[in-house]
Amino acid sequence: MYQTESWGSPYVPASGRNGVGSYSGGGGDPFERIERLAAESAVVIFSISSCCMCHAIKRLFCGMGVNPTVYELDQAGDPIAGKEMELALMRLIGASSAAALPVVFVGGKLVGAMDRVMASHINGTLVPLLKDAGALWL
Amino acid sequence: MGSHRMGETGLSDSGPSTHHHHHHHLPYALLHGMNPSSTAFMSQDPAFDFGELEEAIVLQGVKIRNDESKAPLFTEEGGRPSASTTLEMFPSWPMRFHHQQQQGSSRSGGESTDSGSGVNTISSKAEANIEPESPISRKAASSSSDHYHFQHHQMDQLAVSNGGAGPSSSSHHHIQQQNQSADKPPNEKTLRRLAQNREAARKSRLRKKVQAYVQQLETSRIKLSQLEQELQRARQQGLFLGGCSGAGGNLSSAAAMFDMEYARWLEDDLRHMSELRAGLHAHLSDSDLRITVDRYISHYDEIFRLKGVTAKSDVFHLITGVWATPAERCFLWMGGFRPSELIKMLISQLDPLTEQQVMGIYSLQHSSQQAEEALSQGLDQLQQSLVDTIAGGPVIDGMQQMAVALGKLANLEGFVRQADNLRQQTLHQLRRILTVRQAARCFLVIGEYYGRLRALSSLWASRPRDTLMGDENSCQTTTDLQMVQPSQSHFTNF
Repeated sequence: MYQTESWGSPYVPASGRNGVGSYSGGGGDPFERIERLAAESAVVIFSISSCCMCHAIKRLFCGMGVNPTVYELDQAGDPIAGKEMELALMRLIGASSAAALPVVFVGGKLVGAMDRVMASHINGTLVPLLKDAGALWL
Repeated sequence: MGSHRMGETGLSDSGPSTHHHHHHHLPYALLHGMNPSSTAFMSQDPAFDFGELEEAIVLQGVKIRNDESKAPLFTEEGGRPSASTTLEMFPSWPMRFHHQQQQGSSRSGGESTDSGSGVNTISSKAEANIEPESPISRKAASSSSDHYHFQHHQMDQLAVSNGGAGPSSSSHHHIQQQNQSADKPPNEKTLRRLAQNREAARKSRLRKKVQAYVQQLETSRIKLSQLEQELQRARQQGLFLGGCSGAGGNLSSAAAMFDMEYARWLEDDLRHMSELRAGLHAHLSDSDLRITVDRYISHYDEIFRLKGVTAKSDVFHLITGVWATPAERCFLWMGGFRPSELIKMLISQLDPLTEQQVMGIYSLQHSSQQAEEALSQGLDQLQQSLVDTIAGGPVIDGMQQMAVALGKLANLEGFVRQADNLRQQTLHQLRRILTVRQAARCFLVIGEYYGRLRALSSLWASRPRDTLMGDENSCQTTTDLQMVQPSQSHFTNF
């Protein structure tokens, strides 16, 4: 389905490994972290494990045959880093309320929250984007 | 005074008796052969129940004679306390009757005469005049003598019905007998007449009540239309009418507001559809038709915006489809129509399409199906999560549990909004795929489809039960689609 423990190698949480410093505090600012993580996979979803809308968006991509990389921000090695990133994402998509997640990146570029993703799917721009990013081959 | 024709003698001489329009008193009058015009005298006292008075008079006479209590009849309608003399029988009467006598005009108003027993007045007054010592005959002012004669004649009639006496002389005699506190107990006919009086009094009161109620309804209706006008005005001024209390407390104010706005939206919908129809018929240029089509899209944008606002306050109202007709509600998906179903319905209606358009439509159908599926699964997970929260394990902290559950429930708003977003995007995409004329036709089909679905609800609700009609339709799973088929021929002209 989708990989949820993307916090994993080479980004093992806690303990002072090199990879950790990259997003678990100290290192870069949350925006940089986000940007970096988004560029690493064709489809990146920033999510919260208990959020049902996040579940819906995961189902959407799986239903299309896409294998997204999911970062559950509430399960980050460093909870503060996770929270920082959540706030950063909220600003990126221009959300006024706390319901920012899920947020989707395709091909390293921001697509947006659920409403934007759905709109782009309906107006037919999502699939070409996915194909260009190599997430979809049909 | 040999004549017994009321109209000629009694009334021609008396003052307030020239009201010939009291035909409402006919029932009683006919019963006793009275001239309708004679009933003018009846309705002078607006608040006095002469039915019971008449009873009181007659029965008092009996009481005096027999010294027996006729309580049941006497006190049926809050009758008067018995008195040993005729005078004291009407402690308050002299004044009132005096007042009545001085009233120049009779109370008309047809059957809604305020006196509960207007029809009884004559007989009771006639009866009242039986005893010469009665306050009536004594206090009667200017018209008393005339009235007395008049009533005397009426008494003749009554006496006729009473004792079955024929000629006037004997009835006079009969009356004389009664005038002198006759020793006979009240015969059957008297009792019957009293009962009739009571009945008439009751009917009259009932009529009055009904009239009052009808009056109330009328006033309410007027008020309602006034309120509607005010509402329309206020709406046009862009005022936000908040805080309208829902019907019977079942609707939240947000829900009531939405229902109101939705009703208006439906009216606007009809208007837009006739515009589209007219535009197509008139073969408007594309640029002109585009304006109408875009207006229709904005019309839908408006209802989605409205639902978004309402979802913040009362998502249950939207998601349970209280605002929709039963047939719509039955097929409701997440508080509205299911986009893929709509497209499925449209596919056959939109011919002819280019190949590219066909692909576009099918692609749209596919992606909306995927989106619907995703949202539905998300909602399922929400429900599961909610169940786990409120159903799971021992209740360690009830309030905490409830707080968590409330938090989860708040996500419902998000789902309804995303569903509406999906619907809105679908309509916009349709507009993009189709030409202007095709889009006009398409939206007309959509509007008519939902119109028929709504009509179906009404027809269903008013269908005759216990017929086989229901069986015919029960097997059809695509009734709505089949219903829409006939419209195809409607559009082949375009």
